[in-house]
Amino acid sequence: MDSTGEVSRVGNPMRTRQPRRLGKATKAGRATKADRAGQPGQGRVALLFLLPALISLALLRLIPAGVALVDSFFTESLLRGGRVFVGLGNYSDLLGNADFRKSVGVTLLFTVIVNPLQIAVAFLLAVLYTQRATGSKFWRSLVILPIAVPPAVSAVIWSVIYRPDGLGNSFLDLLKIPAQPFLTSTEQALPSIIVLLSWIGVGYWMLFLIAGINDIPDDIHEAASLDGVSPWRRLWSITLPLVRRPLAFVLVADTVSNLLVFAPVQILTKGGPNGTTNLMMYDVYNRAYAIGDLHTAQAEVILLVAVTLIIVALQFRLLRGDDR
Amino acid sequence: MKRTLLSAGAAVIGLLFFIPLLWVLTGSLRPGSETFARLSPLSWDSFITVHPTLENYSKLFTGDIGRATANSLLVSVSTVLAGLAICSSAAFALSALRFRGQTAVFAIVVLSFLIPFDAIAIPLSDMFRDWNLTNTFTGLVLPGIGNGMAIFLLRQFFLAIPTELVEAGRLDGLGWFGVFIRIYLPLSRPALIGAGLTLFLFQWHSYVWPLLMGTDRGHILGPVALANLQGQNFVDYGVVFAGAVLLTLIPLAVILGFQRYFIQSVSSSGLK
Repeated sequence: MDSTGEVSRVGNPMRTRQPRRLGKATKAGRATKADRAGQPGQGRVALLFLLPALISLALLRLIPAGVALVDSFFTESLLRGGRVFVGLGNYSDLLGNADFRKSVGVTLLFTVIVNPLQIAVAFLLAVLYTQRATGSKFWRSLVILPIAVPPAVSAVIWSVIYRPDGLGNSFLDLLKIPAQPFLTSTEQALPSIIVLLSWIGVGYWMLFLIAGINDIPDDIHEAASLDGVSPWRRLWSITLPLVRRPLAFVLVADTVSNLLVFAPVQILTKGGPNGTTNLMMYDVYNRAYAIGDLHTAQAEVILLVAVTLIIVALQFRLLRGDDR
Repeated sequence: MKRTLLSAGAAVIGLLFFIPLLWVLTGSLRPGSETFARLSPLSWDSFITVHPTLENYSKLFTGDIGRATANSLLVSVSTVLAGLAICSSAAFALSALRFRGQTAVFAIVVLSFLIPFDAIAIPLSDMFRDWNLTNTFTGLVLPGIGNGMAIFLLRQFFLAIPTELVEAGRLDGLGWFGVFIRIYLPLSRPALIGAGLTLFLFQWHSYVWPLLMGTDRGHILGPVALANLQGQNFVDYGVVFAGAVLLTLIPLAVILGFQRYFIQSVSSSGLK
């Protein structure tokens, strides 16, 4: 997986903003010309080409989100026979629910730790693996390798590593550290999940940052080193500011994907011990199937989707502001 | 001196990331009874076996995981074929044709990939239950086929195809479908492969949806079956590791085979 030099070709949403805007402008220009020439519209043909995709996007993405929104305002009542409108009742039930509040707290704590950690590590590794050093590309591909492992399979692998007699403790033993409980400890369970998720994710995010670093013209670094700027200063004052665009993108995409973490929690801890790893995505699942309260679960889905959309909207603003 | 230090750092970190997978690979080539036997103290033979055996793999192929992996392959390949047909024709309409409401349709496409699929999996699985799609391959494949990201990728690529080609094709009497099949698709191999990879990995890596939708033996997918196996009381870790290796090697082979396109699609997709 070495050909990261090609990265900028097809168009990362954040890089192709400029050309895309140009594309739109010429498109609009052409459309008005066609209208003036009195050409028949291509609406019917377009509809035929679009129909399968529009149906599947509506049916499989938008409608379920709409259904969840509507359902979140209703509840099932045996007394009054069937669905009853309760307005924001499910939401206030949720807010009053101690398990939910704890889950939000755990998710916040997790978000605040995991994202800066993964991005800092991904950035430092991207810097390391773009230095001209022997075998750099080979070692880099080992860091990227976990991308191929399905997340649920990674979770299974790490559940064995974290066993009391597993690889984790024999590693600590090598460093003369006593055996640790990992997943069964209220203090260590969440950090253990963070380590596993970083093993999965850091290589992936590193790819974007490597692409960003490779885009920095060589002469900038050469000029700086001729001027006697130290490597550490160059990292802070040249590399970091010049990759802020991919960095902002990685920050948002990473935050969104970490908001939806499910498989490791379900496979490793089931939210425990004592709710310390009960991330929101698992809480939704648990509420819907173990507790069987589908309507409150739908309300929680809506909250989760809303938070995601807010973060993504922030990204668009951030990147737009960057253009000026 | 500095160069040596950097090389050493690069190697040590690369190895640290690789060790869990190496341990799994070695464990898969050892009898299950030995998985934990060689861990304390840690030594070279914790990670390398001199007497590899394929016993675990033969158990795998006769057991549930083998079946589940075949299910995963069927679901992922069907998704790629159906998904490419649907997504490329939509991308064609959004790039080659001009019609009213184009911007609105494009907005719908973008919105649909901003809604995280895993979050709406629960309401969607409720709908699928009403439509009797639980434990069917249709139910497993469907959510993968309309992929806003794939449409977006293909549209970006299609926009770069010169309109002169389309006009020439039209003058030669090609219909729009002909323009799509004869001009756009052959010119877009890299983008089609990139989008195909996006679709493939979406399905191969999915967990929430197959957990909700495919639970019986005939429809369970690889990752779910492996997670179930791991959760049991008496586990043969040799077989678990062989399953993990198999479920990783397949996407790895696909990624390595199309490496160039994978890097492109990763860098242009971004939102997983």
